Amino acid sequence: MKQTLSILLLLVVASALVFAGGQGEESGAMEQGGDQMVAAMATDVGGLGDKSFNDGAYQGLQMGEDLGFEARVVESNQQTDYIPNLTGLAEDGADIVFAVGFLMEQAVKEAAQMNPDTFFGGIDIGGDPEIPNFQGILYREEQSGFLAGVLAGHMTAQYSDASPKLNADPIVGVVLGMFIPPVERYEVGFIQGVKYANPDVQVLSVTAGDFTDQARGREAAVAMIEQGADIIFHAAGLTGLGAIQAARENGVLAIGVDVDQNNVAPDTVITSAVKKIPESVYVVLESVANGTFEGGTHTYGLAEDATGIAPYHSFDDVIPQEVKDAVDAAREAVLSGEIQIAQTRADIQDLLD
Amino acid sequence: MVDYDFIVNLLSAMIRNATPIALAAIGAVVCERSGVVNIAMEGIMTVGAFVAAIVAGATGNPWIGLLAAIFFGGLFSLIHAFATVSLHLDHVVSGAVLNVLALGITSYLMIMIVGHPGTTNPVPVGLGDYRWAIPVLSSIPVLGPMFFNQTPIVYFSFILIGVFTWFLSKTKLGLHVRASGEHPLALETIGVSVYKMRYFGVLVSGLVGGMAGAYLSIESNVSFTEGMTGGRGFIAMAAMISGGWHPIGAFIAALFFGLADALQVRFQVFEIARVPEEFFIILPYVLTVVAVAGLVRRSRPPKADGVDFMIERSED
Repeated sequence: MKQTLSILLLLVVASALVFAGGQGEESGAMEQGGDQMVAAMATDVGGLGDKSFNDGAYQGLQMGEDLGFEARVVESNQQTDYIPNLTGLAEDGADIVFAVGFLMEQAVKEAAQMNPDTFFGGIDIGGDPEIPNFQGILYREEQSGFLAGVLAGHMTAQYSDASPKLNADPIVGVVLGMFIPPVERYEVGFIQGVKYANPDVQVLSVTAGDFTDQARGREAAVAMIEQGADIIFHAAGLTGLGAIQAARENGVLAIGVDVDQNNVAPDTVITSAVKKIPESVYVVLESVANGTFEGGTHTYGLAEDATGIAPYHSFDDVIPQEVKDAVDAAREAVLSGEIQIAQTRADIQDLLD
Repeated sequence: MVDYDFIVNLLSAMIRNATPIALAAIGAVVCERSGVVNIAMEGIMTVGAFVAAIVAGATGNPWIGLLAAIFFGGLFSLIHAFATVSLHLDHVVSGAVLNVLALGITSYLMIMIVGHPGTTNPVPVGLGDYRWAIPVLSSIPVLGPMFFNQTPIVYFSFILIGVFTWFLSKTKLGLHVRASGEHPLALETIGVSVYKMRYFGVLVSGLVGGMAGAYLSIESNVSFTEGMTGGRGFIAMAAMISGGWHPIGAFIAALFFGLADALQVRFQVFEIARVPEEFFIILPYVLTVVAVAGLVRRSRPPKADGVDFMIERSED
């Protein structure tokens, strides 16, 4: 009897804390009723503080405050939290609920069908014509990857004298989190950019298999640095923070992802391949506020100023003008359609061999 | 491709990968030798990693962060000791609850302290910034850079493996701990408290597990991320079992896993086969399953491991 009681007690305490953890940011928001519109999001398992797409989406929600939205966040501790979190937000009266991350695709579509009166948005998730209350938002990550690749391809080879952190070997590396479409687009774009800048540069690639395990990202980067890679690009969420850390410790350069990650390691992160999640979230919020929300898929790219690379910050003096010009020329060529960038590895098989 | 540098780099990576697993495994060895099954190493490591990042970030001193991680790892493990030894709860149930509790506590405190879930801010100075090359020893070919040009917690793990091996086999207290896991009644009969020995065993696993967590957050990296332990606490269980509940055996098993992990990353770098990356990523885990399945038959757990011990006291 005593045993059973203590088991129960422990379970109750444990689950209470788990739920407290998951929904801590919601408190205080419940009493306000009336006309206050609520824009909510459920994070992927990486959670806020990833300095990447979860933070980006949250920033978008906060920008929506001047449209009269109140921002609400629920964190997903594991993948089984996705559906309860999304439907929970809808049932609590949110006007629009964002699912952040490709891995939430099934969950958000199910939640949207269960709650037809609530709008849903999905970052990195394609839309579905049969679910009119769901808008999928995709980015042309390959464009950001391409521009980062052009920069890296020039810097690691002809212009390796520009920084003491670069070596003579024409080798760069990529750390991937899990091999999912947005990550693949970043990688494929990056490889094409590098080869466009200089076909002789070798691109190494390691998939860590995880978006939260920093130690794995670090080991992946170290293994490529050992082979002479002097610029490490990552598309690996939090795992990538370990890759940046490895670049910093080994005195080479890194390229961040999704948002400007220069602040992670200002002396190491030369630029970041970005996608402007906050701005596109804001566009969706505007459409909700105006009553012009549409389902389907919205794709954002260079033309919408939603992809590209972040400012060079302290590397502005390091990067030669010729390289900056080459990056700008590549941007123009992509915009004009002169350069076509593939989106899958299968399409660039000739570059991989 | 396979030259001297490659071998040295590979073996250094093996040591780095193995350190958190080896620490958790030797902690679990002492715990299980005292008779308490401990599947909570994952949770203990999570707590240690979290506390280390928070305290090191707040004080700016990673050493204080490390001490705090060890202390709170121990404190957290005492819940397991209290539940299993004093309340006679099933060891596996208590361990499972502790793993969930660790996730809950850390993400709750994360919001309270950091203000958001996910990742803490980077610590100003990490233990990874202290790389100690031992004079003379570090210039030995291969073994030098592999063992003697590492970061602090890696050295601590070497020392602890020696200390615990000596402790379990040569000291009186170690003998009592082992007796408590083999034949608790006999130990109680000679007037040594089985409860105390088991509390001690669990506490050791908590202290060492906290250190393993600190390795992940403030030595190998510079911040705590929810989910950063990545199942290493469970790999440590496998290392403990295939290492025959012995500190050195557990260390060798952890090295084996570390080597497999270091190899799979390099297989990807060299693109040795055009197969999906997932095949490489699962390699260390597959090898672990094979190792455990192959070795576990010869490996004998302590006789009273996981067996509850209750003293009947007459009221007077």
